[in-house]
Amino acid sequence: MASPVVQLNHVTKVIKGKKIIDDLSFTIEEGEVFGFLGPNGAGKTTTIRMMVGLMGITSGEILICGKNVEKEFEAALMNIGGIVENPEMYKFLTGYQNLMQYARMIKGISKQKIDEVVEFVGLKERIHDKVKTYSLGMRQRLGLAQSLLHDPKVMILDEPTNGLDPAGIREIRDHLKKLTKEKGMSVIVSSHLLSEMEMMCDRIAIIQNGKLVDIQKVHDYVNDTKQKYFFEVNLENVGILDNIPYEKVDKGYEIELEKEEVPKMIQKFTEAGISIYEVKPIAKTLEDRFMEVTTGGEKHA
Amino acid sequence: MLNLIKNEWIKIFKRPGTYVMIGLLVLAVLGTGILTKVYGDSGQSTNPQWKQELQQETKEYKKEMKGLPKSANTYKQSLERDIAINQYRLDHNLPPEQAETGWSFIYDSASFISFAGLFTIIVAAGIVASEFGWGTIKLLLIRPIKRTKILLSKYLTVIIFDVFLLAILFISAAILGFALFGTGDGNNAHLAYANGTVVEQNMLLYLIKRYLLASIDVIMITTMAFMISAVFRNSSLATGLSIFLLFMGSTVTAIIAAQYNWAKYILFANTDLSQYFDGIPMVDGMTLGFSITMLLIYFIVFMLLAFGVFTKRDVAA
Repeated sequence: MASPVVQLNHVTKVIKGKKIIDDLSFTIEEGEVFGFLGPNGAGKTTTIRMMVGLMGITSGEILICGKNVEKEFEAALMNIGGIVENPEMYKFLTGYQNLMQYARMIKGISKQKIDEVVEFVGLKERIHDKVKTYSLGMRQRLGLAQSLLHDPKVMILDEPTNGLDPAGIREIRDHLKKLTKEKGMSVIVSSHLLSEMEMMCDRIAIIQNGKLVDIQKVHDYVNDTKQKYFFEVNLENVGILDNIPYEKVDKGYEIELEKEEVPKMIQKFTEAGISIYEVKPIAKTLEDRFMEVTTGGEKHA
Repeated sequence: MLNLIKNEWIKIFKRPGTYVMIGLLVLAVLGTGILTKVYGDSGQSTNPQWKQELQQETKEYKKEMKGLPKSANTYKQSLERDIAINQYRLDHNLPPEQAETGWSFIYDSASFISFAGLFTIIVAAGIVASEFGWGTIKLLLIRPIKRTKILLSKYLTVIIFDVFLLAILFISAAILGFALFGTGDGNNAHLAYANGTVVEQNMLLYLIKRYLLASIDVIMITTMAFMISAVFRNSSLATGLSIFLLFMGSTVTAIIAAQYNWAKYILFANTDLSQYFDGIPMVDGMTLGFSITMLLIYFIVFMLLAFGVFTKRDVAA
């Protein structure tokens, strides 16, 4: 396993006596797309702002490529490219002039590099127009361009798809895929849009009320080998379900099975003379998992 | 750091408002120049009767001085100064320049320094606050550059902008002044009164010094506007308060100074350093050293506030 690119150690943030982030610890590996999921107000944006040094850390530490964000700010931030919410640019400058502003702030960014980045995000045609004439999607692309200028190891995107239309969302997704595949970057994305996260991320952390509730690989969420199936049957004698985990629900039973076992189960029912009205897999989406985890967290809180 | 200042400079000059400011400044100089030329220029350079006039003037001043109550100390001192300068002119056969010359036009144009100050304050008040307003502060602060450096570059840009406006004012006044009124009769010494004696000074040096001294006022208030901008992220507050103080500060301080001695600790009692070179201090017992110390204290307080708050602040907006 590669060394962690981003490391959070017991990070806590207190604002006006209120714990916004409570003892958050996790690591992000090289080349992975890491999703940061949580309901509104869970502390996603706060965590991201602490990572990029926009907010102070009350206790704990954040390391970017081994550099402490607070103590070695400049060295740590050299490795970060970021967009925090909608990328706000200087509207009275052109796209290119905006990029020049950021290019001047880091040593050794050549004109070719700027052109290359502009090409990558597909803004070549409009780069010399004023930003105030840009659509939201184009601003988002320009935002992506500014974050790529210094070849960072980590991209941090806070709600990158907010307010974008489906085509824009897809575009961002494609760009991120390209970045991780071609340049080996790690990407941290926060969002409250589950389906988005499911498509983009390798690993997802769910946070709620400033606490880490769960952290898992996306495939674990979606592609469990065992799955629940709903059987609508008029079953009187439950004995037939011996040794099989099941749950009685309204109108029928939910039974956890592997896919190959489903025909056998149906056969078993028909042989026993039980009428089957409906059989369907209960797809366990990220959303189910998310709701499960977050509402569960609320009950215990 | 140079690149950061360049960035700020570009941001200032890519906005049309800046050119309006410069245009207004030049226009103000141009307007006064033309008005003075058309209505004010008497044409005669020296009154042949100037010696008698000066003697008469001195007599009146002396009479007036005797009648003054003790409390009018400041006025008395300024009369003493006028008398001494009149005497010096008589002794050295230096007639007072009556016609407008290029030099006197530059001198008069110094009154537009607060105009230039006004524009500098507007820039200073906006330079931090508008980054917050535009939302660009987020992308600005996630560069691998310390916040102290970013804020310092902004402050230096404001100071450079002030010097730039002063230079525009001085140069446009000089060009227009010499074009309209000529250089005078070559008698270009300035008479200054300090410590009871009168000294002649080179006019150009004197004028540059006058401009620089007059801008201490502007720079202090600009620093304050910058501080308010950085601390409160509100450019209207910074602009409003600072402009009010720019125009009213010294008047209010003068009123307080007539009554209370503690007025000397007020910023505006100390901003006009030319009172020590060319006049009488606002409050008795104030010295150049005292004023410079006070200015430094105010300056350090403003800077500590601005940098302290800006570097610690959580950017949430």
